[in-house]
Amino acid sequence: MAANRLLATTLFVAAGIVLGQNLTYRPDPKWQAPPRAAARRNPLAGRNDVVAGGRRLYVRECLACHGGDGRGLGHAANLRATLVQRQSDGVLFWKLTTGNLRRGMPSFSQLPEIQRWQLVNYLRTLRE
Amino acid sequence: MRWVYRSVLCLVGLSPLFYPVERAAAQESPFFVTYDHHLEEPGNLEVALSQTFGPAYAGQPRFVAPYLELEYGLRSWWTTELYLEGQSTRHDSTVFTGWRWENRWRPLAQEHVINPVLYLEFEDINEASRIKKEFIGHLGDGGQSNASLRRQRDRELEGKLILSSVRGNWEFAENLILEKNLSAAEGVEFGYSLGIMRPLGGLAGADACHVCRENFVAGVELSGGLGSTRGFGLRETPQYVSPLLSWRTSQDGTLRLAPSFGLSHGSAPFLLRMSYSHELRGFGAAVRRWWHGR
Repeated sequence: MAANRLLATTLFVAAGIVLGQNLTYRPDPKWQAPPRAAARRNPLAGRNDVVAGGRRLYVRECLACHGGDGRGLGHAANLRATLVQRQSDGVLFWKLTTGNLRRGMPSFSQLPEIQRWQLVNYLRTLRE
Repeated sequence: MRWVYRSVLCLVGLSPLFYPVERAAAQESPFFVTYDHHLEEPGNLEVALSQTFGPAYAGQPRFVAPYLELEYGLRSWWTTELYLEGQSTRHDSTVFTGWRWENRWRPLAQEHVINPVLYLEFEDINEASRIKKEFIGHLGDGGQSNASLRRQRDRELEGKLILSSVRGNWEFAENLILEKNLSAAEGVEFGYSLGIMRPLGGLAGADACHVCRENFVAGVELSGGLGSTRGFGLRETPQYVSPLLSWRTSQDGTLRLAPSFGLSHGSAPFLLRMSYSHELRGFGAAVRRWWHGR
């Protein structure tokens, strides 16, 4: 009985993980931040007071492709996924800044740097 | 007849009132002449109404040259744009001066120290054109009437090499322009444009605001002609410097303003450019859904 319950729970959790992903998203192995960019320190780390502004930027700049909940529409990445969330703040900042036109991700280098860090802070709140 | 009906409705669809598209961001640079490496996002349509105003000087009457821009993101690396332009001269007439179709391609997928963009434009305009979208070659003939100028039709091919870089919050853009008039044996004309801009905002606030620093971008651009294959150089070429300001008036609208000051003997002493653009995100997808009846 306990084994059945464990199996059911495992299947339920696995189904939740699978269904929660954007299955059409495939990470681009060539889109790798250089070590120096990956190690950049987030000047807004731990600043919860900037998250609301980050959410407003997200709605303006990212929502059309990544969806209101960040799970991603079409080929856009699921920003809640562990695959995304395990990356450092520096990597996320770099990816926002450079974009990846091969996968339809525009660059947001025209935003002030501090607003790109603000977006990173908001993305962290999407973590599942 | 059905396709005619649908095509007409597609044109009407260029109006934001026609189709309920999602609200969108307007990532407008303040440049009027200079291009940078930021292209239109795929599937988005930007509709811009702009005008170049030239006050009377040296016996030439004042004019206003309005133009409509329809900019569409075909791919994340390819943007296409159609221009329709006109001109109205005081004590003369108002005329349609032609159309332009431009394409921009970004060959590199990611952002680099210098980001190149390739640009190709075909123009079918007449000599009455005054929008002054770029400055090339040498000075033209002034003082002729619109009726006379519009009879001189120019079919031109224009190429640009666009280089653009971002350093922190600053953006630098350099354009080299080459233009060949296919309707006349004029050789190839050259021009350039240099621009620098910076967003004025810092941290984004939690609440939307209209008149606050985060909605403004300021910059300067310097542009002019470089002569032609028949005489390269700055001699007798128009040269302008323009301070720029863009203001995001709403989530999807941007107002741009640029007074331009002539620097060379043959330049007009002053031009004023204004533009309002409205971005329709997801326009392509919305039209496709409608076309297929979903």
